[in-house]
Amino acid sequence: MRRRQLAALVRKDLRLELRTRETIVAMVLFAIVMLAILQFGFGTRDDDLTRFVGGLMWVTLAFTAVLGVGRSYVAEREQRVLDGLLVSPVPRVVMMSAKAIAIFLYMTVVEVVVIPLVGIFFVKGPYWESIGWIAIAALLANLCIALAGTLFSGLALFTRARDLILPVLFLPALVPVVIAAAGATYSVAGGPHDMSEWRGYCLFLLAYAILFSLVSVATYDAVFDD
Amino acid sequence: MSGGSQYVVAAYAVIWFLVLAYVVVLGARTARIGRQVEAISRMLDRRDQREEQPDSEPDPEPEPSGDRA
Amino acid sequence: MTEGPARMPGERAAVIWGSIATLLVVVSTIGIFLVAPEDADQGVIQRIFYFHVAIAIASLVAFAVACVAGILYLRTRNDRWDDVGEASIRIGLLFSVLVVITGSIWAKASWGTWWVWSDPRLVTYLIVVLIYAAYFVLRSSAEDDRKMRYSAIYAIAGFASVPLSFYSVRVAESFVHPVVFTSGGANMPGSMLIWFVVSQAAMLALFIALLEVDLVGRRSERALRRLALRLEGT
Repeated sequence: MRRRQLAALVRKDLRLELRTRETIVAMVLFAIVMLAILQFGFGTRDDDLTRFVGGLMWVTLAFTAVLGVGRSYVAEREQRVLDGLLVSPVPRVVMMSAKAIAIFLYMTVVEVVVIPLVGIFFVKGPYWESIGWIAIAALLANLCIALAGTLFSGLALFTRARDLILPVLFLPALVPVVIAAAGATYSVAGGPHDMSEWRGYCLFLLAYAILFSLVSVATYDAVFDD
Repeated sequence: MSGGSQYVVAAYAVIWFLVLAYVVVLGARTARIGRQVEAISRMLDRRDQREEQPDSEPDPEPEPSGDRA
Repeated sequence: MTEGPARMPGERAAVIWGSIATLLVVVSTIGIFLVAPEDADQGVIQRIFYFHVAIAIASLVAFAVACVAGILYLRTRNDRWDDVGEASIRIGLLFSVLVVITGSIWAKASWGTWWVWSDPRLVTYLIVVLIYAAYFVLRSSAEDDRKMRYSAIYAIAGFASVPLSFYSVRVAESFVHPVVFTSGGANMPGSMLIWFVVSQAAMLALFIALLEVDLVGRRSERALRRLALRLEGT
């Protein structure tokens, strides 16, 4: 029953997205533009940006996540889907999980484009192997982004300066994710190729995801309580 | 060994300054509450006077009761 | 209004904790500057440590109190817990700003620069300040019931991200340069440790005192608002 509800909600989000493709295309474009801006901003006088590129990539992905998460409830709010959902007997946890899955998928799509592309600029070891390790860390990071993002976008949804509140709430909470994901990326791609470091960061991301899923499950009923 | 003692003084000065500033903020709020209480009691005085002159109805006991939290 | 029928709850607590805090702050200041021995490596600078670390721990206690208050608010929907939560976070934020400033002064004194991105304590507290500054932004853009509910949820989520930021910064640090963790921390001689403990007690008492004073103020504000509403009604 719950699984059917969850599948239906996820399918609803994806179908909406596939029909217009506005969010994902915009997110991918945003990420590429942002990376280009960052590269220009840092300048090319210093030839070796490879040490920073992994970090720049995760900063970009964090901002892209804020953008995507901010869009994720737009349909619900504008077309009054939320009113219907809230009176329907769908448990809040199922609603939340559906949103988190949608955000997770969006981020994954963006990363499928961005990581191999940016990887060209900083991966020093064997390309596909490094990309594979980065991808695992990225999936964990997406889990964190999806869980925290669902909670914070729920909080920001009915506030006054919604578009401003979300980044203010969400970005400080994303700092650990950016630190860990950038660290993991650097450790397998940049220089040292240190697997124990990579493992440490991945475990941290896992712990983050677990902690935030507990917080979300515990508080999500209260987010939509009116 | 007084090398750097100015930094120690600075650190403790900042602590004192900000904590006292916070206390001042709390004090300012208390002052605002006091002002409002004053305004309310003046309002009550005026109303009592008005009620005494036409002498129509008994006072509905507007005394502020103690707060139950 | 000359004599209230009953003392306002928390009124006596505010006075008692205020006195305890004052006493402890005086005792610890005397102890730190006149009694505690000078640190062998760092000299006078080390005396920043006592209040710096004590305030840091007190701010974490404040955020923990706010988190518990958030849970209790969501359970009971009693406005009082919202008051406790907001007051604690405000004090916690004040304290963490103090941690950042005193930490920065300490960095200047011992390393010669105001800010060191590789020092985990400074960086984490910067993140903590950002997390809890957002709390007030969130509060200011929602109303009444929703404001209290969102604040409670955010207080809980924020407290969950505090250990995460601590740990993330330390994980990153441990790979870059290993031992930054103890600076006069674990291996403190007893003659210093005792003054650290007194400072810690002083800062905790200061937190409780400020909290109680704030809560009494909030209660009177609320009582006043009720009174004003009643007067408008008649």
